[in-house]
Amino acid sequence: MTTRSRRAVITGIGVLSPIGSDAAAFWSALRAGTSGVRAIRGFDTSDLSCRIAGEILDFEPKALIEKSYRKSLNAMSRMVQLGVVAAQLAVRDSGLMKSLMPPERFGVSFASVMAETDIDDVAGLGAACSAGVGRPVDMDAWGRTGVPQMPPMWMLKYLPNMPACHVTIMHDAQGPSNSITTGDLAGVAALGEALRALQRGAADFMLVGGCESKLNPLTLVRLDVFAPLTREYEHPERAVRPFDRDASGTCVGEAAAAFGLEELAHAQKRGATILGEVVGFASGVDRGLTGAGLARVIRNALADAGVQPADIDHVNAHGVGVRELDRFEARGIGEVFGRDVPVFAPLSRFGNTGAASGILELACSVLALRHGELPGTLNHDDPDAGCPIAVHTGPPQVVTKPYAVKVSTTDMGQCGAVVVKRWDNA
Amino acid sequence: MRRRVVITGMGVVTPLGHTVAELFANQTEGRTAVGPITRFDARALPTTFGSEVKNFDLRRYTKDADRFARCGLNTKFAIGAAKQALEDAGLLDTASGDRTRIGVYLGVGEGPDNFPALVNSAAAAVVGDRAGSARFVAAIRPALDPRAESEVEMHTTVGHLSRLFALDGPNASCLTACAAGSQAIGEAAELIRAGDADAMAAGGSQSMLHPLGVAGFTRLGALSHRNDSPATASRPFDLTRDGFVIGEAGGVVILEELEHAKARGATIHAELTGYGSTADAYRMTDPHPAGKGAIRCMANALADAGLNATDIGYINAHGTSTAANDAMETTAIKAVFGAHARKVPVSSSKSMLGHLIAAAGAVELVISVMAIQKGVLPPTINYATPDPVCDLDYIPNAARGVRVDHVLSNSFGFGGQNVALVVSRFRG
Repeated sequence: MTTRSRRAVITGIGVLSPIGSDAAAFWSALRAGTSGVRAIRGFDTSDLSCRIAGEILDFEPKALIEKSYRKSLNAMSRMVQLGVVAAQLAVRDSGLMKSLMPPERFGVSFASVMAETDIDDVAGLGAACSAGVGRPVDMDAWGRTGVPQMPPMWMLKYLPNMPACHVTIMHDAQGPSNSITTGDLAGVAALGEALRALQRGAADFMLVGGCESKLNPLTLVRLDVFAPLTREYEHPERAVRPFDRDASGTCVGEAAAAFGLEELAHAQKRGATILGEVVGFASGVDRGLTGAGLARVIRNALADAGVQPADIDHVNAHGVGVRELDRFEARGIGEVFGRDVPVFAPLSRFGNTGAASGILELACSVLALRHGELPGTLNHDDPDAGCPIAVHTGPPQVVTKPYAVKVSTTDMGQCGAVVVKRWDNA
Repeated sequence: MRRRVVITGMGVVTPLGHTVAELFANQTEGRTAVGPITRFDARALPTTFGSEVKNFDLRRYTKDADRFARCGLNTKFAIGAAKQALEDAGLLDTASGDRTRIGVYLGVGEGPDNFPALVNSAAAAVVGDRAGSARFVAAIRPALDPRAESEVEMHTTVGHLSRLFALDGPNASCLTACAAGSQAIGEAAELIRAGDADAMAAGGSQSMLHPLGVAGFTRLGALSHRNDSPATASRPFDLTRDGFVIGEAGGVVILEELEHAKARGATIHAELTGYGSTADAYRMTDPHPAGKGAIRCMANALADAGLNATDIGYINAHGTSTAANDAMETTAIKAVFGAHARKVPVSSSKSMLGHLIAAAGAVELVISVMAIQKGVLPPTINYATPDPVCDLDYIPNAARGVRVDHVLSNSFGFGGQNVALVVSRFRG
């Protein structure tokens, strides 16, 4: 192992979520146990089997985005807009002045996906060359009259590296830049990569973010045919039930979250407010979803941080509300922590936000450590006997220890863990 | 001291060969893979040609090819390249080594496409000039195959490699446009240096040779229109270049911590000595004309390798054959290399392979390693008319026998993403 004399602290948070779109509103909704899972309002869902989601109802990119960048919004899908605005909120929160930051020391590490096309963008060209549903496309018409109708910047609305690229341009961030696409693991992976970049001295400030909007008709119908979405949602806010005996599946959401992650001495020199420290990271695969591989990854992250399970206030789990996946996650967490460390799973409040989930969910723990209170998990009423963990529910409980562990997992067993520490002016 | 990273395995699935040896032989002989698009009917498009992988058979790489039948070419090419690379490295046996210390990091493109269903359903949804989401959903649902749709999810390619080859270490994918393959290799090397893994299968895999991919690049004005002569369309640094040629491929290298490789007696092909990643922070579609980000990323990679510009014996250029890239890259090389810029040979593998997008950097790194091993530098083909702003030694049209110890490989992507890698002859 290399010596790690450089430390990484969080100096800014930006959140756009179904339960609040600034850090203060987000925290008060978390404390209050507010759910952001509702019937979808953005478009007609009558032909979908799952009609609920964590939808952001108050997102007004035009009002939020820096004026000079407003016209670029047209070239961004909703995912990109969310990512760019969350990044802007995080930079603003960190108090970073563009003129004071050497641009080559400012990097970007973002989690995202290939966004699905807006139907309006392909409707016209579809009409130009379709001979009807189920029929071959008229490729001659496609070439001659279809393609010319495609918006010139169509591809750039949806590519996964667009959030990071816009962020580099908006903030003159010329340092290392990457866009990680590993599904629900991507956020934690992006954070881990940024942590290592700061530790090895490749940058002094890393904008770390994640964004995804699954609230798109094409995304939702695709997920409808293969993803374990709940069909039981008479009460949307009760539908996603992490580690619960009555777990019936998950639902999707949309969000973006970003951290300003900064080398400690750099942050202290400019007098930045420090919100927490990222002290450990590890990742790996648990191919059989047994939990043993996840436990190994968690132990590696604890070792990287130099802490023991007894130092941990709580584990922040993904908890998607799908029995097989929750049991996998619980076995891994349980193997390391038993029932001694409470588990908090914020996802039941806003649905699975995919590439945004790692940073968004971790933001809950950073805020909990900072405020000294851990909110309760929603919709965990009857523990699933297959989940050997103690899930914290009900009203907020007092934070008693300085560290939290964020766990992210995918349905293919890809997993990552990050250890964060409360900032005590130490 | 920093952990050193060596290359102990290489594998490719490319339009110019499905083995490293075949690819490099074709590269040094100056053969092109560019021809009419056969994957779909592209005859009415402004660009009708590309660089396709032909005769790819997944059964050569796995007994369970049926299991991956619904995967996209991104996953299929990745499996082919990774299998070869692991075999080359002696790590294919799933009982060999501590698998929890071996990971995967790929630049991965899109999964399977469903172009007819998308187009027909969008057309069915049109009322007035707005598309109706409910009509769209009703029209497309019957055309969706659940197994194919699950393969669209972007974490699946690297997940499949983990499962198929028992690679339980760090598992990540990135997509930074045309820089992704190099970026994955650079970040995988950093995971090894930081102690997060001992070995990584790293590289890239993508095919954009589908109707929406080709159309998207067409609308961005990025593709060559030389339909009357596809074989000469990719002409990097030539005055008459008019855009890039879209290609597809998979390329994987096995990166390994030096002591780990030595302890198991692995054959070391080369050492990965330098990595630089920067952003132009300039524009979405155009590179910074003076090469601001490209200059710093090359300089960072050299500094990371502890080398001077004069140590570099060959530059494998990004060299896309677009007006803007090739001029910018030339300017940037001159800024970094000074007087040495006129002496160091530069060539573009894309003149023969086309642009392999997320796989480009990985395949080009393999070619760079081969250039060190074989002492032969592949040419830039189709170079006929010198461009006054591109005035370096581009190894025009014929390979050159030169011993080189250090090679710089550039990859620059849309949105101003720049990556440079330095690969060096291994010296214990």
